[in-house]
Amino acid sequence: MLSPKGWGILGADGGAMSDSHKALIDHDDNFTRSAGKQLAVYAVYAVLILAAVVYLLSLAAGHTGNNGNDMAVDIENNAITIALREEPPQLDPGRSTDASSGVVLAHVFEGLINYDEEAQLTPGVAERWEIREDGATFWLRDNARWSDGKVVTAQDFVFAWRRVVDPATAAEYAFFLYPIKNGEEINRGELPKEMLGVRAVNDRQLEVEFSRPTPYFDKLVAWYTYLPVREDFYNSRNGRFGADADELLYNGPYMITEWVHSSSMLWKKNPYYWSDARGFVDEIRTAYITNDDNAKLNLFKDSKIVETHLSSPMLPDAMAEKWQIDRAMDGTVFFFEFNHRPGRITSNLNFRKALLFAQESSELVYKALKEASYLPAVSLFPVWIEGVNGKFREEYPPPNHHMDLEKARHYLALAKEELGLDEFPPIVMLSGDQPASMVSATYYQELFRDRLGLEIRIDTQIFKQRLQKMTAGDFDIVLAGWGPDYDDALTYGDLFASWNLQNRGRYKSDEMDALIKKAQTTLDKVDRVATFGKIQQLVYDDAVILPMYERGWTYVVNPQVKGIRRRVVGPEVDYNFARIDVSSD
Amino acid sequence: MAEYSAADFAPLKVQSHSQTLSRPSLSYWQDAWIRLKANRRALTSLYLVIGLLVFTLLGPLIWRVNPASQDLDQISAPPGRDRGALVVPEYTPWEGPTTQATELQLAAPPTSQAVRLQWAPLPNAHGHRVYRNLYPVGPERAFGIPLAEFFDNSTLYFEDRLDLRPGRYYYSVVALNDNGRPTTEAQTITVDVRRATSISDAIKQGIIPVDAEVEVGDVLQVALHPLGTDYLGRDMLARLMAGARVSLFIGIFAPFLYVLFGVVYGSVAGFLGGKIDQLMMRFADFVVALPFLLFMILFKIAFGIGPGESGVFPMLVAMILLLWPASARLVRGQILQIREQGYVEASKLLGAKSTYLIFRHMLPNTLGVVLVTLTFEIPRAIFTEAFLSFIGMGVAPPTPSWGSMSNEGIKTMLNTPHELIFPALMISITVLAFNLLGDGLRDALDARMRNTE
Repeated sequence: MLSPKGWGILGADGGAMSDSHKALIDHDDNFTRSAGKQLAVYAVYAVLILAAVVYLLSLAAGHTGNNGNDMAVDIENNAITIALREEPPQLDPGRSTDASSGVVLAHVFEGLINYDEEAQLTPGVAERWEIREDGATFWLRDNARWSDGKVVTAQDFVFAWRRVVDPATAAEYAFFLYPIKNGEEINRGELPKEMLGVRAVNDRQLEVEFSRPTPYFDKLVAWYTYLPVREDFYNSRNGRFGADADELLYNGPYMITEWVHSSSMLWKKNPYYWSDARGFVDEIRTAYITNDDNAKLNLFKDSKIVETHLSSPMLPDAMAEKWQIDRAMDGTVFFFEFNHRPGRITSNLNFRKALLFAQESSELVYKALKEASYLPAVSLFPVWIEGVNGKFREEYPPPNHHMDLEKARHYLALAKEELGLDEFPPIVMLSGDQPASMVSATYYQELFRDRLGLEIRIDTQIFKQRLQKMTAGDFDIVLAGWGPDYDDALTYGDLFASWNLQNRGRYKSDEMDALIKKAQTTLDKVDRVATFGKIQQLVYDDAVILPMYERGWTYVVNPQVKGIRRRVVGPEVDYNFARIDVSSD
Repeated sequence: MAEYSAADFAPLKVQSHSQTLSRPSLSYWQDAWIRLKANRRALTSLYLVIGLLVFTLLGPLIWRVNPASQDLDQISAPPGRDRGALVVPEYTPWEGPTTQATELQLAAPPTSQAVRLQWAPLPNAHGHRVYRNLYPVGPERAFGIPLAEFFDNSTLYFEDRLDLRPGRYYYSVVALNDNGRPTTEAQTITVDVRRATSISDAIKQGIIPVDAEVEVGDVLQVALHPLGTDYLGRDMLARLMAGARVSLFIGIFAPFLYVLFGVVYGSVAGFLGGKIDQLMMRFADFVVALPFLLFMILFKIAFGIGPGESGVFPMLVAMILLLWPASARLVRGQILQIREQGYVEASKLLGAKSTYLIFRHMLPNTLGVVLVTLTFEIPRAIFTEAFLSFIGMGVAPPTPSWGSMSNEGIKTMLNTPHELIFPALMISITVLAFNLLGDGLRDALDARMRNTE
């Protein structure tokens, strides 16, 4: 294809041009040829100039930003560089709701109780605590300090918690504090916030009264909505609390010293932090804020960040690079939530059972989604939930479900009869715009058409829109996910209580309600876990949901850094225990 | 002196020597066709366009594969791969091995249906993690993808069904410490996975007839997918054909309608002239300013296009309502020019009516321009459709269109490039063919380039 003329550098371009010439009409061949030549020369110039500009820019970039500080592991300064998925909208712990804020807060704040490296509860600001049927007491340590050196006191918690339930704060996660006496009433504006069932006996002792027995309260206070805020500092900020690095007072292992919005953050070790069991690296540089997995993969390849998540298309590449790939569960379970409102086809039990028996989640995960870190979901309760002594799912194995087309068609025929239909109308399947949701939706659409002859219409919506439609009940089936708020089976178990607003399909059964009430109030551990076992069975028997998958992560960490943890509950990624260890190289 | 006879005074027959045509007379269209034929580039494009139409209209009659049906045994299969498959018994869930293992070993012959592994507890293990690699495990201790982990020593077997493809895999078990973190104890085996299918699957997919005499252990040829399959095992060729229907329907129908409207609008404006012309053209300017995407969304809502229904109709309406001004302007300009031509004046003086003027003089003379606009608008419309489907505004799943196929393909671009390349190639070829054809038509229909020979 190379043309014999002078512009051979541009192989393809020049060649194509001279080639097309032959096809042109003869009489103005000369003109077109010279025009083509001119074009080719221009193209060469353009490419050369572009190359020069790119080279100059990279030179300039090298001179301004690169002081050796942008490497993933900076051994000299004992610092690591990370990427954050999204910019936290603000960092007021009481008002935060998103995962990225959760990651930052877990490093710069510390609650009464914390999680250790192996995800077990460990004392935080509270030295010890006691949980009773009607309340709890926390004894605070005297060496937990704010980043200005003052001691963290029980009053700081009282102030923070009152503020969360105060309707004027409009905290979305205020319901986390409903187990505290009067929490719900205050949040609804029925009582003044001073009536909240929490009180500082003195600086070192915090007394909590419950509205109902809450045996899992220790796990609850580890959640970031329960973090402390100091009153005098808060008031001095004139409503800008949490909006910027210097509008916050920290009590965690790290503090934010620099926050360039939508670009980067710098976390430095908090000199006043009490424990030496966390905060091993001196500096964590959040140099990148990006949601783009491919961009993060490239950053990792170039040794610019210490850790990144790998989705399944990236795995062959990662294997070729000989990385040590790790895995962790994300904690979230994804399932079909059926619309149980009367009048909906999906309110028919036999119809739901027909769908349930027409499929098997393992096929979805292994064949359609192909994500190595996902587990086929078989229960409402994910695999990592704790039981009495071991894992819940080992003590109460989920129902042994397998696809059974005979059964499915039988149930479908029953449903048809009960509903008095000649033919099923199209079923609306509400789905998110995440790739995994869209693949699942398309997969099930064809599956139900092929195996049951049902027509499914996929309604793809962005998150907010989907949430709105879920709340309004504008769906037959919604592909929903539920992530844990605290490390206890109840975070899943109470999902289908008739009074739970997160029960988007409005499933209502007296049996379920009774079981959930029992699970909420029983203090006896064995009895309580047994109740969850019954809930698990009921969810299956009543086909309340159709489990799809449990989400997980495959990820890779720079081999020089140890102790980075991915968490099921708490921050998505935990760098509190990260330490640089070059010995293994 | 010669005598004159009466015959000499008879009038001569009319003879025409003045105009002898040495060649047959050529009409405008014949001439254009000759020039188009001389332009090989345009001619090739014309064949390509015809080929595309055949592909779209006749293709599905020949290649009768449902574009929505999922072949889960061949997911993301590239074209031209070996299709031999071992017939194995129906898949049944595995309850664990019956014998004790002494080391990491296979509990059953490895097939693409499942790889069943069992092992003996590793020294000091508090649990095990199973890895799968595409490359041999070297000193880097990179074991590959972690597939599963067991936090007790009682589970000593694992069944891998994750996206298995024929080929070589390296499986490893790594011991976990009491915190559930991997230790240095590991064992690796090499596994050659064969493609497998069960008899019932083969019958369901129509590879073998229902009454075929096939036994476990035989080798079958699995379903043929000439262009491979996509991420859900759907046939790419069938999807490209189905996608072409949407793309070409929008691509040809929409420009045809809005160019037609533009021609009528433009010629009326140009012919009437004056204030009416001013008014009409200002309205056209106004329409140009309307944002296409916004109106597309508005129409989708206004027509009550529900969730999961195809957005092709509002797309068509939005195109027709918003994209006509370009051709209207063009035609108006032409008409204004033609109106002032001498032959039109002459025709008027001879008493021609407006309709005669329009149909005899104006329209035929603008036809060339209109045709060229049309061929340039077609690729533009195809591209718009592809773009809208790419961002999810167009067709609803499972209906494919080239744009939505590209959107799906781009996610797995690095591993299975054929899922992106084929639809992208179709869009590129179509757009290029129509562009080059339009180019050729413009040259061919330009009266000033008429052959002088």
